[in-house]
Order: sequence, then C-alpha cells, then structure tokens
Amino acid sequence: MVASHLARGIFSLGRRHLRRIGSLPRGTMAQPTRDAQRATEFEALLEPILAGAYGLALQLTRNRADAEDLVQEAALLAFRGFEGFERGTNFRAWFFRILTNTFLSGRRKRRPEAEAVPFEDVPVAYMQRQAREIASAEQAGDLVRAVLGKLETEEVTAAIEALPEEFRLVAALYFVRDSSYQEISEILGIPVGTVRSRLHRGRRLLQKRLWQIAQDHGLVAGAAPGEGRTG
Amino acid sequence: MSANRLTCEEAFRRLDDYLDRELGPGETAEVRRHLEVCAMCAGEFGIEAEVLDAVREKLRRIAAPPDLMAAISAKLAAARQSEG
Ligand SMILES: [Zn+2]
Repeated sequence: MVASHLARGIFSLGRRHLRRIGSLPRGTMAQPTRDAQRATEFEALLEPILAGAYGLALQLTRNRADAEDLVQEAALLAFRGFEGFERGTNFRAWFFRILTNTFLSGRRKRRPEAEAVPFEDVPVAYMQRQAREIASAEQAGDLVRAVLGKLETEEVTAAIEALPEEFRLVAALYFVRDSSYQEISEILGIPVGTVRSRLHRGRRLLQKRLWQIAQDHGLVAGAAPGEGRTG
Repeated sequence: MSANRLTCEEAFRRLDDYLDRELGPGETAEVRRHLEVCAMCAGEFGIEAEVLDAVREKLRRIAAPPDLMAAISAKLAAARQSEG
C-alpha cells in the first residue's frame, strides 16, 4: 500500500531512477525500493530549499563553482545521515547546519590560516547618516529607500562577500536563514555574545559597502530621489 | 514611570537587538514606548528595518543553477549503488 503522494513522488523522480531499479539483479528488489523511497523523500524535502541552500553556499564560498560543489557534498552527507533527521522537524535548519559544517571542515583543511580582521568601526545606521549629508533630514529616508531599490542582488551579494570572513559567516546565516542568534551560535560553535557583536558590526560594514557600491555605480548621484535615473 | 524612559541615545543603542527581537520583554517594551513618543527614532528604526528587509529580499532572488537538483539526484543514486 503506497500512499498516493509517495507514488506521485516516485513517478516524478524521473526515468533515471526507475531504470536503475529495474536493472538491478534479482533478489535485491526490496532494498533498492526502500532506498529509492528514502531518496524520493529526501529530494522532495531538499528541492524547495535548494535556492536558499545555494544562496548560503554562494556567500560562504564566494564563487559559483565552489558553491555548487558545496551543496552537492552537503546533500550527499545529509542523505547518508538522513536516518538521524527527525521527521516533522525543520529540514531547512537541519540541512543548512550540515552545509555550514561541511564548508567549515573543508575550509579548515584547505586554508588553515586565520584571516586577519581589520578593525573598522562603522557607526550604526550608516546609510541614513550618509544620506543625511546630502539630503534633508526628511528626505534621507527616501534617499536610502531609493538606493536600496536600485541595488541588484549581485551587488548585495558582492557586498556580503567582501566582508571579512568572521562577519561573512554570521551575516550569511542571518540573512539567508533568518536565524536567531542562538541558532547561529549553535551552527558555528561560538557564543551568542560573539554572534551578536559580529552581526551588529558586520551589518554596519555591510551598509558601508552597499553605500560605496551604490556610489561607485552612480546610484546615489543626484540627491533628490525619484529624479533622473530610472533603474 | 518616567524614571525608566529611554533617551534617544539609549534607544539607539538597542536598535540592532530590537530589530532582531533579541531583547527581553522589559527592554522591548521600553524601546517600543520610546518609539511611540519619538517620531525621529521611529523613522530611523523603520529605515533600518527596511535596509535589513531589502538585503534579505535581494538574497531571496538567488536561484539555484537549473541542473543542480539533477546533479544531486544523480550523485545520490550513484552513492546508493556503490553502497549496495
Ligand atoms: Zn528618540
């Protein structure tokens, strides 16, 4: 008795899998079928979060090819440990944790040296402060909003990628995962207070980079928002 | 009551934690009370929240490469096969 949604899942799996099962030697049918069902279940959970996983991987690795490799490697590890996943709990959190850990352990092997973090104290609400230097207090908010509206995903990604690593990891988890400080602390194995300070500082650095990128791309030019450039 | 009213500076020091809902209930209420009476801080807190939302929203537009899921399926199938 196969539940209808499971049957649908198997049929949507694609011919590749069915062919593979069909070509296995006799007497091994029960095992591969159960394996195939497990794979179907795993892939059905993975597919809706794949874009988020790739986005997180992109910010961790800072390049597309490595990001793809990382997601694939994490998927394989996660599938091997799928028995340990408690059904009905947050698959996204579970998988993103594996992805982050996969990145961290791989990185330790490849590049053991720690990155020096230049201390740069950026004030809070950096964009608003900058906006207020070229626009009136009433218009500063509109200017920030206009700049944000013009920034492309690639520019935001580039700004996060440019952050020193200790800030980048925390920021990537925060923005992509919508994680609480507690969750980030558990994933990275650092105290909540460290997450908080890195995140707060990282966000200020991020605002500064975004503003610089916007300036470099001419998005801030013309202090009056809504005039001139149309994106 | 007015004894524990926050100044603008004190409210601003709690900006990040407030936006992330990481303050305890007492401090959250204090900040909220300040924002109710201080239009300037309320405006600035609002813009900061918009900055964070904008970053999140842009990042949500990142799509996975079209063949990534198929590559993963193939990898899992191969792993299942080699594990017997
Ligand atoms: Zn105020």
